[in-house]
Amino acid sequence: MNNRIENHPILGELEKRKKVTFQFDGKSYEGYEGDTIAAALLANGIRTLRKHEESGNPRGIYCNIGHCYECRVTVDGETNVRACLTPIKENMVVESGKVQPSPLDPSKENIPRTYAEYMEMEGEK
Amino acid sequence: MKDTIICRCEEVTLGELEELAKKHHSSARELKLLSRAGMGFCGGRTCRQAVDRVLTSITKKDPTDALPLKVAPPVRPMSLVDLGGAAKDE
Amino acid sequence: MQVYDAVIIGAGPAGLAAAIQCRENNLNVVVLDEYPKAGGRLLGQLYQEPDGTWWNGIEESKALETKAEQLDTDIRLGVSVHHIETLDNQFVVHTKKENFTTKNVIIATGAAESPVPVPGWTLPGVMSIGAAQVMTNVHRVKVGEKGIIVGINVLSAAIAQELHLAGIELHSMVLPAKHIISGEQANPRKVIDDLSRVAHLAPSKFIQFGSKFAKYKWAQNLALQFYPKNGIKMWEMPIHLRKAIKQINGTEKVESVTLVDVTADGEIVEHSEEEVQVDFVCIAGGLYPLAELAAVVGCPFQYSEELGGHVPIHNERMETPIPGIYVAGNITGIESAKVAREQGIVAGLSIAKKESDSPDIIEEKLQTAIENVKATRKAATIQFHPNIPEGRANVSAAFSKIIDEQKTETTKEKIS
Ligand SMILES: Cc1cc2nc3c(=O)[nH]c(=O)nc-3n(C[C@H](O)[C@H](O)[C@H](O)COP(=O)(O)OP(=O)(O)OC[C@H]3O[C@@H](n4cnc5c(N)ncnc54)[C@H](O)[C@@H]3O)c2cc1C
Ligand code: FES
Repeated sequence: MNNRIENHPILGELEKRKKVTFQFDGKSYEGYEGDTIAAALLANGIRTLRKHEESGNPRGIYCNIGHCYECRVTVDGETNVRACLTPIKENMVVESGKVQPSPLDPSKENIPRTYAEYMEMEGEK
Repeated sequence: MKDTIICRCEEVTLGELEELAKKHHSSARELKLLSRAGMGFCGGRTCRQAVDRVLTSITKKDPTDALPLKVAPPVRPMSLVDLGGAAKDE
Repeated sequence: MQVYDAVIIGAGPAGLAAAIQCRENNLNVVVLDEYPKAGGRLLGQLYQEPDGTWWNGIEESKALETKAEQLDTDIRLGVSVHHIETLDNQFVVHTKKENFTTKNVIIATGAAESPVPVPGWTLPGVMSIGAAQVMTNVHRVKVGEKGIIVGINVLSAAIAQELHLAGIELHSMVLPAKHIISGEQANPRKVIDDLSRVAHLAPSKFIQFGSKFAKYKWAQNLALQFYPKNGIKMWEMPIHLRKAIKQINGTEKVESVTLVDVTADGEIVEHSEEEVQVDFVCIAGGLYPLAELAAVVGCPFQYSEELGGHVPIHNERMETPIPGIYVAGNITGIESAKVAREQGIVAGLSIAKKESDSPDIIEEKLQTAIENVKATRKAATIQFHPNIPEGRANVSAAFSKIIDEQKTETTKEKIS
């Protein structure tokens, strides 16, 4: 599958770059040096990068420039990495974001889930 | 339209926001805490403006110079481990 | 511990231009940016100037980066800044891996896109218009086989042309449906009025259409009343001022959209639904200044519709009321990359002057740079709002007021 824009009337021909092989959810894919994870996957026809941790709704890139965090994946064991900002590397292992078992319902327990939330709650007191 | 998701991170809908805002006569900050809109991973970068608009439309107030929603560090999500001293000084 | 003269956050046109000025004045600086390439949002830009030449964002970025590199500028990419802390008379800029202590900070974090929520907009295949721009021009990957653009404004018109150039098929451009969040963006009268006011400046064919039909209110009304059912075509793609998107359909990803007809005031015409097959949707809600770090460090803000939202208060020298904190580029208001670049020069020179032993020489350059910002603004091909100078004047006035108040406070303290 090739979704690359090879020729462009103004930007010219796509420059030759080194091939890079990486893994996504256990399958092997090819991209080029300098590709972000999101771009390399889209070039391979893959849009869905994660499932919403609670509802399980599928998500892909939204902003493509690091603002929205919709594209977060696990890269070589590191969680919540933005696929739109992270360049692929040879043998990189990428996992899509999965539904999380959520025993904690913060609306009942009042437990902060993010640091920002923690700060807000502290401010309450 | 009521079912439209406004805050993508926490999947908060327009209907939920409107209902909460009316029920509690809330300020932007209260609405954020009640609904969790804007408190997810993106820190409100995507939905902040939309949440503000829902509020101004309900309170019929024009936007003021003060930021309607306070911005708290970190402006990029951090794990508590990373925050807790992993950072080394240059 | 190393103390920098300046930490510059953002390697867009503003940040890079600022870094170049700092380095030319031998300051010790570091530029931080979370994106893997230098250039910021300039990278994706591609449009034709009125004289026929192309503004190629990749080349313009490269030129700035090369210049900075020749001056041995320390540019670190892939680094997100999450906090700026004030410590005595210095600042600590926090990133995940390390912290940077500095005398001055330039916040040049640019802009972000405003959302227009549409039912179904979380489906894979729905993206902001800027996302499509970057995927197309920077990564050279097709965002899909056939798409639709929601939101008709200067930015989406420019990017529609870019997608067309890259050979990507677009069904059309339509309005968002009217609701409390889309507001005026869903009102055909407002949209045509906005476009007509930038008509003489913008390069695209659509905008030329705007100038022909829409300079006068009566002509705008006529144009909307008799707006062709099939839209008005630009680069083989219809622009619909009388159609809006009702919802995006699909289970695992975008499969189609449902469109409806709207009246000249944007009200939905009943039973006018039509389903259109697309595999991607671009949402264009406009831009707003990304000022979160300015908020965190305690800058006062002003709301300015002309500038795109809440902006940190600053003066023509790009100083904020917090000594040592500077801003430049789209964080100060939404404008073209050329203006951002000139503002970066001003910010860089302001710091150079502050840290210099012979400030008078730099002051002269600074004055020229401030004039250049204004001249560039005047000549800009792409203007995001017709009253930018007014917005700018208001923010400057707010700055003066704060400084005056500070002075009165200190005098009072001295007396008592
Ligand atoms: C999606 C999008 C598309 C645009 N398209 C056009 C266009 O086609 N034509 C046009 O004239 N203008 C366009 N603009 C406007 C654009 O903002 C200006 O043209 C110009 O690029 C602004 O320059 P800047 O240096 O202020 O910011 P930018 O070019 O946006 O650069 C800011 C940089 O700061 C970085 N950054 C932000 N926050 C952090 C953080 N916390 N930590 C580390 N790094 C950070 C970003 O990664 C980015 O590289 C667009 C803006 C956006 C957001
Ligand atoms: S797509 Fe928005 S952060 Fe990656």
